[in-house]
Amino acid sequence: MTNPSPLSTQVFQILLSLVDHDLHGYAIIQDVAERTDDEVRLTASTLYAAVKRLLDQGLIDEVRSRSRDDDPRRRYYRLTPAGRRAARDEALRLERLAAMARAKRLLPTTR
Amino acid sequence: MTVRLYGALVALLLPSGFNDAFADELLSVYAEVDREARLRAGFAGALRALLGEIPGLVRIAIRERRTHRTLRARRVKPRLEDNMIDSFTQDATFAVRSLRRSLGFTIVAVGTLALGIGANTAIFSIVNSVLLSPLKLNDPDRLVAIGEQPRSQTTVSIGSTSPGSFFDWKASSATMELGSYNQGISRTLTGIGDPQQIVGTQITGDLMRILGVSPLMGRNLTLADENAGAPPVLVIGFDAWHRFFGDDRGVIGKTLTLNGVPRTIVGVMPAGFTFPGAPNDFWSPAQLDAAFRGNRDQYYLNVVGRLRSGATVAQAQAEMNAVMDRLTRDWPKYNQGNRIVIQSLRDTIVGSVQGGLLVMMGAVAFVLLITCANVGNLLVARAATRRREIAVRRALGAGTGRIARQLVTESILLALAGGIAGVLIGKWMLKLLLAGSATANLPRIEEIALDGRVLVFTFGVSVVVGLLFGCMPAWHLTRERFTDGLRDGARGSSGHQWTRNTLVVVEVALAMILLTGAGLLLRSFALMQRVDTGIKPEHVVTFSIQRRKPDPTFVPTLLERLRRIPAVQSVAITSNLPVAGRGIGAWFNRIDRPLPENVQPSGEAYRVVTPDYFATVGIPLKTGRMFDANDRREAPAIVVNQALVKKYYPNENPLGKPVYLGAPDNRLFDSAPIVGVVGDTRDAGLGSDPLPTVYIPIAVMRGWPFFTLVMRHSGDPAPIIASARRVVHDIDATIPITNVQTLEDVISTVSAPARWATTLLGAFAGVALVTAILGVFGLLSYMVTQRARELGIRIALGASSGGVQRLVLSRGLGLVTVGLVVGLAGAVVLTRFMQSMLYGVTPTDPLTFVGVSGLLVLAAASASLIPARRATRIDPITALRAE
Repeated sequence: MTNPSPLSTQVFQILLSLVDHDLHGYAIIQDVAERTDDEVRLTASTLYAAVKRLLDQGLIDEVRSRSRDDDPRRRYYRLTPAGRRAARDEALRLERLAAMARAKRLLPTTR
Repeated sequence: MTVRLYGALVALLLPSGFNDAFADELLSVYAEVDREARLRAGFAGALRALLGEIPGLVRIAIRERRTHRTLRARRVKPRLEDNMIDSFTQDATFAVRSLRRSLGFTIVAVGTLALGIGANTAIFSIVNSVLLSPLKLNDPDRLVAIGEQPRSQTTVSIGSTSPGSFFDWKASSATMELGSYNQGISRTLTGIGDPQQIVGTQITGDLMRILGVSPLMGRNLTLADENAGAPPVLVIGFDAWHRFFGDDRGVIGKTLTLNGVPRTIVGVMPAGFTFPGAPNDFWSPAQLDAAFRGNRDQYYLNVVGRLRSGATVAQAQAEMNAVMDRLTRDWPKYNQGNRIVIQSLRDTIVGSVQGGLLVMMGAVAFVLLITCANVGNLLVARAATRRREIAVRRALGAGTGRIARQLVTESILLALAGGIAGVLIGKWMLKLLLAGSATANLPRIEEIALDGRVLVFTFGVSVVVGLLFGCMPAWHLTRERFTDGLRDGARGSSGHQWTRNTLVVVEVALAMILLTGAGLLLRSFALMQRVDTGIKPEHVVTFSIQRRKPDPTFVPTLLERLRRIPAVQSVAITSNLPVAGRGIGAWFNRIDRPLPENVQPSGEAYRVVTPDYFATVGIPLKTGRMFDANDRREAPAIVVNQALVKKYYPNENPLGKPVYLGAPDNRLFDSAPIVGVVGDTRDAGLGSDPLPTVYIPIAVMRGWPFFTLVMRHSGDPAPIIASARRVVHDIDATIPITNVQTLEDVISTVSAPARWATTLLGAFAGVALVTAILGVFGLLSYMVTQRARELGIRIALGASSGGVQRLVLSRGLGLVTVGLVVGLAGAVVLTRFMQSMLYGVTPTDPLTFVGVSGLLVLAAASASLIPARRATRIDPITALRAE
């Protein structure tokens, strides 16, 4: 299945953050900033604008905070199978684009 | 505080459907974002983080409202009102309708706000570009300015240094790379249209690379260009490229003839680069020969350093202290008692105006606060008349929060409308501010613009302002029991009255502070205008020329022909105009009383003049004689002013005492007696004490290249100037004439910044006074209307009209007195920040404080008189029947 529309950078980065573990909101912001060397810095508002939509679309799910001593207001988010698929589709799409650029010798053909 | 503000924005902007599900979590995440931003960059970081949130919030607000009907998050508890209507849209529509219904109120409120916000926008534009934006150089935070000054001087002021010192510093520094410049050098450009003077900068020590700027075209100047004997080259500025070559891209390799020397253009700098200040048409390498590189008494190089990576200002300072210790041992004569000072380049460039600009920013912020108080007052009054409407809405089931939100939406709309109008007004005000000659000396003036950051600032201010005064009526209304409002004839609650009184007191207090500031500036300015400049500037015109080749007949011929112009009484030449600055200086040495070997003499200003100079500008002779034709290079003589006598010959007769100027091995002349003493002139500015000054005949200083001519005349200056131009042109058509002005213009230009500050603060204070008085007037009028029944009864029971008037007046004056006292206290605290802007008055000048208080009381009393009068005309019968 191919994803009909490309994901925004921010949404894609949020999904990427959740690929290998469940994270709470602030941890997502930190993870994205760390991985992208501060190039993508989510604000709290943009994060939750995206979280709300991803929940609505069933791409992520919510997990109540895991340990007892954690802040009870904290909720953790987990990738649903559909979310994992959407992230993978996006990554494939990007890879295909990169391959096209390589075919045109816009990028060096190392690999 | 920023977290709470964010919470308020979330509650206000986002639909409750979203907030029920996410608000708590959103806030807890934001709290962490805020904490981290503070750790990184303090309060400014927190503020930036808050501003960064706004686009996201707006996006949620819009998207969630659009889709809230189609898809809802699972945890949402549906709410009745949310399901029926989109409350935000409804609030806004309702607010617009309600504001349109009371158009008069809306226009007054938006107009007042626009003025306040506009003034803030304009001043903030200047503050933003001059003080807040980083310098437009590569990594400007690592750039510093270095200078030397006497150890006894505690405040840092970066001055220039000599080539010898500069090259020593440069060679000894491990923490910094050093370069230097000599700005404002004036050259005659020929070969492109009429001959003209252009201004540029000479650089030494690879300055361009240190600044880290790259040319738009061609190459930068390099160390190789600085070798004595290297081919003459230069880099031109973007404006010069445009003016002289019409943006010709083939300009590299062409030549520009300056002072008769053709120089090859090797580069063009990008638009906006004018370091160290505008105007600046070219940068040329200073090709110092070996002897001059070792010179230690010509202080003309301004030194800039770039901290090497890892080095701090403190390390650089420690290093330079060690360098100075060594230089003091090696060259005690030049360095004894001096220290090297380092300061960030930014502070050096803008430091002189920082205080004044911040005072102005504070003043406009006060104006805005007064505006807010006034509009808040209007809103409270308006809310009182809407009590019925609100009560009905409540009775029909509107929740407290719902109504409060409605009221806040209304005031935010008002504030945003004020903000939009304010941007337009601010743009206009900024243009006005920059048009005057007073701002011409502002550093970085070419960068000043109303940019995105200013717009964000204005938008932020509008929202904060809207929240500020919008919350007041909302708070009151929601606290009332709604049945009160349904009853007929109910009067405003005591709570309203209390709020309104407080607002008026605040307005009066703020107006008092601004008036005091303006009063102090006005007194300073008036005192400064009354200062004796030491010259008689009426009927004197002046202009400058620059001679290209030494020609002994030039000066006598020029003076002779100018003197022959009808209506010209006397003509003279001077190296620098009086009152327009210190000009050049040199070490002053008494030959009859030499200083000990290791003590450095102090430098004193000198001016090179022709004999008629004193008579022409009106400087009086005190003792001795003026110059005459016998004072030549072979038999030099000098004239000094009284300030110099006071400093060097306090209890002696200076006449006949021999002196020389300059260093022992580099004298302007070997020895000359003082032959006359003349009156002082205020060369360092009208507000500064006269400087000790030496006058040297031009015949002693042969080869002097700069001339400023002064001509005393009778009648109209225009034909004199026209004739003078013809005379110069006839002698040599390649000599450009610049700076044509009257001596009165010169004085007026000198006092322009002070006039600017006075006018501006005066205007702010005027607006503040009018607004505060309107506040008092509005409050009392409202009170008279509200208490008509009580006043009617008093009159019916036999109260005299004088008694009724007193009742109203005492109420008004009581409030004004409280405001006055608070304002006086505030003024005492705040005016000391204006110290540097004042002349001849202390920041707590009693006369100003008394005068301003009197003005305020008088204005308030006359504003109270109208409602007081109206109170006496209340007809008791009508007043009672109205119930």
